[in-house]
Parts: sequence; C-alpha cells; structure tokens
Amino acid sequence: MAQPLLVIRDLHAKVEDDDIDILKGVDLVVEPGNVHALMGPNGSGKSTLAKVIAGHPGYEVTSGEVLFQGENLLEMEADERSRAGVFLAFQYPAEIPGVTIANFLRTAVNARAGKGEETDVFAFQATLAEKMALLKMDDSFATRYVNDGFSGGEKKRNEVLQMAVLEPALAVMDETDSGLDIDALQIVSHGVNTLTKADKDLGVLLITHYKRILNYVKPDFVHVMMNGRIVESGGTELADKLEAQGYDWLQEAAAGV
Amino acid sequence: MTQFDFGVFAGGLSEPETFTTHRARAWERYSDAPFPTKKSEEWRYTDISKVDFDTFVAVTPTEALDANLPADVQEVLDQSGERSGIVVQRDGRVAHIELDPKLAAAGVVLCSLQQAAASHAELLERALFAVTPTAAEEKLWTLHLALLTGGYLLYVPKGVELSAPIHSFRTISGPGVLTATHSLVYAETGSKAAVIDEFLSPDLDGEALSLHGATIHGDANAKIEYVALQRYGRGVKHFSTQYIAAQRDAQLVTFNVALGGDVSRSEVNSRLLGPGSNSEMLALWFGDSKQHFDHQTLQHHAAPSARSDLLFKGALTDNASSVFRGVIRVDVGAQLTDAYQTNRNLLLSKGSHATALPNLEIKADDVRCSHGATIGQVDDDQMFYLLSRGLTRQQAERLLVFGFFDEVLGRMPMEGVRERVRHAIEEKIGL
Repeated sequence: MAQPLLVIRDLHAKVEDDDIDILKGVDLVVEPGNVHALMGPNGSGKSTLAKVIAGHPGYEVTSGEVLFQGENLLEMEADERSRAGVFLAFQYPAEIPGVTIANFLRTAVNARAGKGEETDVFAFQATLAEKMALLKMDDSFATRYVNDGFSGGEKKRNEVLQMAVLEPALAVMDETDSGLDIDALQIVSHGVNTLTKADKDLGVLLITHYKRILNYVKPDFVHVMMNGRIVESGGTELADKLEAQGYDWLQEAAAGV
Repeated sequence: MTQFDFGVFAGGLSEPETFTTHRARAWERYSDAPFPTKKSEEWRYTDISKVDFDTFVAVTPTEALDANLPADVQEVLDQSGERSGIVVQRDGRVAHIELDPKLAAAGVVLCSLQQAAASHAELLERALFAVTPTAAEEKLWTLHLALLTGGYLLYVPKGVELSAPIHSFRTISGPGVLTATHSLVYAETGSKAAVIDEFLSPDLDGEALSLHGATIHGDANAKIEYVALQRYGRGVKHFSTQYIAAQRDAQLVTFNVALGGDVSRSEVNSRLLGPGSNSEMLALWFGDSKQHFDHQTLQHHAAPSARSDLLFKGALTDNASSVFRGVIRVDVGAQLTDAYQTNRNLLLSKGSHATALPNLEIKADDVRCSHGATIGQVDDDQMFYLLSRGLTRQQAERLLVFGFFDEVLGRMPMEGVRERVRHAIEEKIGL
C-alpha cells in the first residue's frame, strides 16, 4: 500500500487570538486517488480544518499532527505547502484588481519551477490554453483580472482552473458549491470530475454543507463533522441519511468526549 | 561652484546671442537665489543641503561626441516598438538625433535647443524663456537654464500627427557629472505628439546630478503624451521641473515614472489655459533601499470648463521614502472646472515611509473638485491567497504592486508607450 496522502491525528486548533479550540481532535486519513466528502452543520469546524491544512496565519494548531506524503505539514509555510502539492479552493477567493489570471498563474507556475527553470511565456500559454479547453472555458477568461467583479460561479470556476494548472496532489475544496445555481454547480462539478479523471492519484477533500454537489461529484467516503470532530464516517449512504434525517441524530455522538 | 567660471563656460559655447543672454540672466538669478531648505513647505521632506553643488562639474562642450548609439540605449530600442524619432543626450549633450523623414517633410522639427535658438527663436522666447518658476523651484530651474548644454525641441505643426513616440534618452557616464537638459514639446493646433524621455545610467560609485526641465505646450485641440521614465542607476540625484500648458480643447497626458537614482524629485505644473482643455497627470514610483522620491504638483485652472485629473501611485519597500504634495488651484473666473487629485501609497516594509499632502485653493464657486490620499499596506486576504498558490512572500508582494500600478498604466493611450513603461517597471520590480 502506498503512503497515505494526508494523515491528520488528534488535531486541535483555534483562532490565533482566541482561547477556545474550534478543532477538538480531528482524525482523518486520505489515500491518493480518493474523494472524501466532509459534511456538517455551520460552525462545526469544516472551514477551519481547510484553512489549517492550507496554513492560514489566522489559525493556531494547539496539538496533534498533520502529515502530507509523510512530511510534517505544520512546519511548512503556506507557500511551501502549495509548492509541495496542497491546494485550497477558497470559499471566498480574494479579488486582485490589476493582475490578470494568466500573469498570476504564470507567476505561480514559475514559483514551483525555481530559479533558472522558469517556463517561457509561450510554453505557459500553451499549457493554460490546454487546461482551459479541458474545462471548456473561453480563452478571454485568462485576460481578466483575478476574481475582480466575478460572479460567484466565475470565482469558483477560476479556483478549478488554478487547480488544473497547478496540478496538486491534494485538493481541499472549501464549500466550492455554496452560492452556486444549478448550472454553475454542474460546470464546477464537471471540472472537478475532469481533473480526478485526468490524475488518478489526485486526492480530494470536498467540504460541503449540502448533499447537492454529491449528486455530481461521487465521493468514496463521507464524513460528518460536528463540534470540532469527525463523529461519523461511511459511504455515500451516509450523505443520503443526512439528507433525509438532518444532523440531529448525531448530536449525542458530537456531545460525547 | 567655486572652481567653476561661468564666463569661461558660456564663452566656450557657440550659440545664438539671445541664448547667451538668457543663460547669463539665469546664472545671475541662480547666484542671487537662496538654496531651498527644509524650512519651506515645498522642500520640507527633501533635504538637499547635503548635496555639494560645488563638487559637480558642468559638462563642457569642447570634446567631440561619439554619435553611435550607446549599448544601453540600443538595448532599450531593440525591445521597444515603433517610434517616430530618436534623441540621445550623453552627459548632458546632444549626441544623436534622427526623425522619420516623412514627418520632417510634413514640417515636424526635432533638433537641439541650440539649433532651435536660431531657427525658432520666437517660440523659445515664448514657451521656454518666458516661464516664471515658483519661488521654491527658482534655484534649480535657473541653474538648469544657465548650464543648459543639452535639450531638444520637438515642434509638431498644425494638423500633423505622430503615430508613434519620439524616444529620447539621457545617459550619465560616471560620478561627478552634472547634466542640465531640457525637453521642449510644442504641438500646434490639432496636432498630435508623443514623447518618451528616458533617463538612464549604470550604478555609480559616486554622486552625479541630473537637472531637467520640460515645457510641454499644446495649442488648441492638440494631443500630447509625455512620459518621463527615470531609471538612473544608484548615485544619481535627479531634479525635474515640468511646465505643461493646455490651450482650448487640448488633451495632454503626462506620466512621470520614477524607478532609479538615490533622490528623485519632479515638480509637475499643469496650466489649463483654454476652455475644454484636459490635463491627465499620472505618476508611478517604486522605491527600495534608501531611495527617496518627491512629487510636487500643481493643477492650475486659469480658464473655465477645463478638466484635470491626477493619479499618482507609489510603492515603497526597505527604507525607501516618498512625498507627494499636490495643489489644485482654481482661479476666480474658472467656473465649471472639473479637477481631481488622487495619491495612493503602498508600503511593503516597516522601514518605508510615505507622506501625502493634498491641497485645494479654489476661488470659483461652481466647480467639481475632489482630492484624496491613502497610505496602506498589502491586504492580508490577497497575500494569503497568493501564498496559497505557491508564490513566495516577495513574489506575492511584487505581483500585488504590479496590480496596484496597472490602473495608472491603463490610462496611457498609446500602446507602445504603455508597453515600454510596463517593461521598465517589470525590470525594476523583478517579476
């Protein structure tokens, strides 16, 4: 068996300037090529987990460990994690006026290549065009400023495009489906499916509040997070049960220590 | 200048008598004027008391100049797009001028100021020698006139349009040099002119002084784009004073880009002299190490129904500093004025420092004027977003600076001009 992609053990974390842990002992293992859905009510700690994995400076890990391909992820800066192969698709991607998507992505690709190994402009443009064709995106998209004045759907498509170009080993998708109408949801789901199909080893942690996206992106595992811990794990049938019964039946497990 | 004998210097120049007369008068005024001190509002943030003017040697015109293009100039030309002509000034002297023969045939004149003094005496009298500098600029303006060995006139006659810019270069070869040059751009009624004034030198292991003046004059309905792209090496102190005059319906865009040198000060004075005239004033600067940039601006509305719009943006890192001091002045009769002034500063380090001083002096009552200045840091959310895509902190900062500058670049009408400036900024920022 290959080394797991991501191992999270008894992870506790809090907002930097706060005293109370939001994550209260998270355990999770993601193998290469698997899609994990992480569900749970608002405030259960799903987005916090995504940000902690990505290395957001606003959060502090108080105990536990996170291994990425066997390496201690918590010792790495956010940019090092990205270059190592971790990708976070943001729930609310930042807008960067004045910087085109093409320029931004070329800088990101070159940051991976290191000094003297930079991809030349034409080779990069070819790669970008190829990825955009794969995701059925219009060429003009790349000349727009990063997320500047984008609709919710466009922002999420831009996240998927970045994921396609940067080719991570692990993609953490933080509520990528929230705020999307059904058309946008299908387009984004198609993008994610295209990428998992193209890279059989790509591991995905799909964080979502709703079951809706799981009708399009089929997870191998479903987990439920409540009160800062994963309280239930299973297959797609778990998502169906949550859809039918809500989260109440798990309150007891969540309250337990 | 203790060792400097103005009489000997002036006597060695072969130029029309009117020029010599103005030169002598300027020297007299220079000698009488006090050096600017930090006590004045205009010089409070830029201390030139330590600049030892005596140690600089004004270039003498005796030795022959190499008319071949210097390597650094050739390099820029190779990277640049179309142009209508070239002017090269080496250590303050005109070494090379060329102009598209079709434009020459259409009556466009591109020549040294010395030549212009003979061929266009009246125009020089009116557009250059008649300029009355502000009290704050008197000292350096008169010094630049007294020691003027370089400079050019671009004259575009009625209705003639330049489709590509004149690309002018000023190079400084080594420490100890003082250069005094001037750009006189005169666009007649309905004509169109574009100029890039590029200042360059290697990094010097001593100080050099660059004195520059520009007079940009647009007659009725003329269009002018003027860019001063300052990318001197370290060691150079650069002082530029620019007078812009817009007659009825003239559309003038001026763009000051400061990237190089140790100290770089530009005073940009725009005068709206005719109804319907429009002066777009743009500037960008990016300072690192201990670089200091100073921009002083005046939007002077002397005529009604004119418009001026100023957008100056600067980014600083390390221990660099900058000051922006801008004045909008609206005369009593200048009703229906539209005047806007915006200065934005981005600080990338704790050691960098920016000062912004916007001012309004409005004597008319039916006007639309606004001014605003901001000094801020990099946005945390933008920074994390870029880091999460694998950019190092420095790469992320530089990309954000580039995005911050884009708004100003986007306002330059001519593609070739925009690209030249973009390239120079990329080179400085190191993206």
